Amino acid sequence: MATSSTKRSLTRFYWAWGILTVVGVVLSIWLPHRYVPRMMSNDGNLSLTTMILFSVLAAPVASGVYAAALHIMHADRYRGEGVPPAAEPIRENTKLLVTWLTVSAVLTVFVLVWGLGALAAENSTSGNPLVVDVTGQQWVWTFAYPGTHVVSNELYVPDNREVEFRVTSLDVTHGFWVVNFGVQVDANPGVITTIHTTPDKLGTIEVRCEQFCGLNHAFMDAIGHVVTPSQFSAWLSSQPQGA
Amino acid sequence: MTTTLEHTATSAEPRGGGLARHQNFGTAIVAGVILAWVGWFVARHLFWSGSDNWSDQVATMTATGWMIGFWIGIGAFNAPFRWLVGNDNSRDEDLYYAGYKQGRARYWKYTTDHKVVGVQYIILTMSLLAVGGILAMAIRTELIVPGTHFVNQQVYNSFIAIHGMVMILALIVAVAGPWGNFVMPIMVGARDMAFPRLNALSLWTLVSAAFLLVTVLAVGGLPVGWVVLGTISDQAGVGMDFFAMTIVVFTVSTTVASINLITTVITMRTKGMTLDRLPIFVWGTMITAVLALYAFPFFFVAELNQILDRTVSTSFYVASGGGTSWLQANLFWLMGHPEVYVILIPAVAALFEISSVMARKPLFSYKTAIGAMVALSGLSALVWAHHMFTSGWAPTLGGPFMVTTEVISIPTGIFFLVLVGTLWRGNVWMRLPTLWMFGFIFNFIVGGVTGIYLSDIPLDEQLHGTMFVTAHFHYIFVGSVLFGAIAALAFWFPKVTGRFLDERLGRYSFWLVFIGVQLTFGAMFLSGLKGMPRRDASYSLAFEHTNFISTIGAYIIMAGMLILLGAIITSWRKGEPSGPNPWHANSLEWQVPTPVPLENFLEDPVITQDPYHYGEELVRP
Ligand SMILES: [Cu+2]
Ligand SMILES: [Cu+2]
Repeated sequence: MATSSTKRSLTRFYWAWGILTVVGVVLSIWLPHRYVPRMMSNDGNLSLTTMILFSVLAAPVASGVYAAALHIMHADRYRGEGVPPAAEPIRENTKLLVTWLTVSAVLTVFVLVWGLGALAAENSTSGNPLVVDVTGQQWVWTFAYPGTHVVSNELYVPDNREVEFRVTSLDVTHGFWVVNFGVQVDANPGVITTIHTTPDKLGTIEVRCEQFCGLNHAFMDAIGHVVTPSQFSAWLSSQPQGA
Repeated sequence: MTTTLEHTATSAEPRGGGLARHQNFGTAIVAGVILAWVGWFVARHLFWSGSDNWSDQVATMTATGWMIGFWIGIGAFNAPFRWLVGNDNSRDEDLYYAGYKQGRARYWKYTTDHKVVGVQYIILTMSLLAVGGILAMAIRTELIVPGTHFVNQQVYNSFIAIHGMVMILALIVAVAGPWGNFVMPIMVGARDMAFPRLNALSLWTLVSAAFLLVTVLAVGGLPVGWVVLGTISDQAGVGMDFFAMTIVVFTVSTTVASINLITTVITMRTKGMTLDRLPIFVWGTMITAVLALYAFPFFFVAELNQILDRTVSTSFYVASGGGTSWLQANLFWLMGHPEVYVILIPAVAALFEISSVMARKPLFSYKTAIGAMVALSGLSALVWAHHMFTSGWAPTLGGPFMVTTEVISIPTGIFFLVLVGTLWRGNVWMRLPTLWMFGFIFNFIVGGVTGIYLSDIPLDEQLHGTMFVTAHFHYIFVGSVLFGAIAALAFWFPKVTGRFLDERLGRYSFWLVFIGVQLTFGAMFLSGLKGMPRRDASYSLAFEHTNFISTIGAYIIMAGMLILLGAIITSWRKGEPSGPNPWHANSLEWQVPTPVPLENFLEDPVITQDPYHYGEELVRP
């Protein structure tokens, strides 16, 4: 009797698992596309892909646990009065344990391999980047272009060329984050930290401070533009020299 | 020990006590304030007022005065002093200190009985949650619409730091404090903790530190964020000195508590209580105590350096003097990551305990569960730099830290296997603790999965420092740990009070808090995805809708928590009587009478099997 009731309810469990997985996968794809800002660099694209991939992988796992929890609430709930009688004692299930460990290990290894690969790709550099010196101070960003005397509070970068941001701070630690490039690094006083990325779309970008830096931290934003190489040269030469 | 204090007492009425008869929470505060004033007064004249460090020196001395005064006032030094002068406490006096026949007054005194300390931890946790919760409501109210309306930026910036630290303190003690003290010694068959006076000491040092932390708001605040990053906190006023002193004393408290707990489990187990029969909650709290012993000294050193930088012009963290903020960040996160598991593991261990009792089924994979907790603790010591992936410190170590961090998903996954495996095919008793446990399972999945995103460096370079992170760890701390803590409260409440926690109010509270968490932190994930940084007092129009939903959700959580508070108060006074073993559970704390007598057992119990033998043969001694 116990067997037949278990079988019947397990069907529901599998259905719940399947449906929740489908919902999870749909959300995994839809939510990032709906909410993540427009990604305009190789690293930005990679962030979005990674986010979607991890979500899709997590969907069946999370759904499995949810389906199991729902199944327990439905099928294993004690509906009688008073203290429930003891259930069949199952202390171990080696097969289940090994399966569980294997699945979680395989997923972890996959996530790791993916992440380490992406990290290596991100760290590789073209060798001829455009250098931008970024300086944070309470509560503005300034961008300087070595080799020129251009200093600006708006960030201009050409597309399809690697940019290297050399970041420092004049006072406290700030967080230099180019939202649409999917890269960030802290601006530390007395040190230069670097990040690089390659813009691949034209348009407006946003720079924000993501490290708490005092009174006006919330307003420490800057606007940036990804422009064509010729527009970029034109902009550089139009700037007042030696500012 | 075969004879109890009570049996050897020479009189039915508590005698002795001496000075302690006149000491309580009130005298502690008075003495604390007096010595704080003395410290302030002396420091103002002792130090050269032209120095840059003067205000910090004065503040540090004031805080020190407060602490010492508070400890003297509560009676922490009475017994050590008596011992020093060669006139140790008599049996009668120890009995007095244990709170023998002192009614409710003993909850406001330096009482050594572990059950009294446990109740004091309940009160402390609830007070801290109240303070942190009020600040949370102020923060969410400020963020309901763009712009600054409700509190100004300066105040907001202090609120986020104090909200963070108060809540961290609250959650560190939320499960391990009340239940590690109240039920854990009974679970192992002990008559008290190994060091009852140290137990009182750890509680009251923590209370003195908690007061100081809240006082920060009155002395100019702490507009730096709870991680008190070296460079920005260098700009902070005397609130930073109070904060640093809070942490120094807090570390003393946790160290003392951890040593006490570990010693109790190792040396005070009753006959037959072998390690493989130990209730899983005891394992959980012991593992947590070991981890706390490792983790919190880093915080101690981190803040001691900060005090030295500020009072005697060292340059541990000051770039202009050759120091680096990265040292502070490393020390902070060496503490900060293990601390997450110091918070999480007791809650999970309590849920393991609850799952077996409520499913009327043995705990599934007992040894694997212990192994997972040990593995998690061990790994947690090796992952701290994942909080510094984007700091610029040691980029070459990114890969290794990514590996250690992601391996954590394996022991974490075991937690789900054990919980779900225990409940699966059980006869699940859907009472209040069970409900909160299901809430935990739901939220912990969300918190866990989103943690994987943040462990991936390329993705972290987008999400770090955003509201996504805030949402992630609130799913862990509120959605998981707080749910676990409330489940534990509902589960052991009858042991403390002899009454059930009101089932109906508890359910209303559950649904409100559960829905509130999904709204608040679900929408917060979206704010983060859209690119909203953390700790912003204001935000652009792009984040308008998701923030509005978060704030409404926060109000719903508050309503739920207020109902829970109402349930606790009314049930404590006149809830449905429960008897000594309302859940028909097997572990020792349910076998002693309620209220639990002083020293717990009239005869030392003998253990023949673990407490999870539902549906199995009883083993006769
Ligand atoms: Cu900044
Ligand atoms: Cu961490």
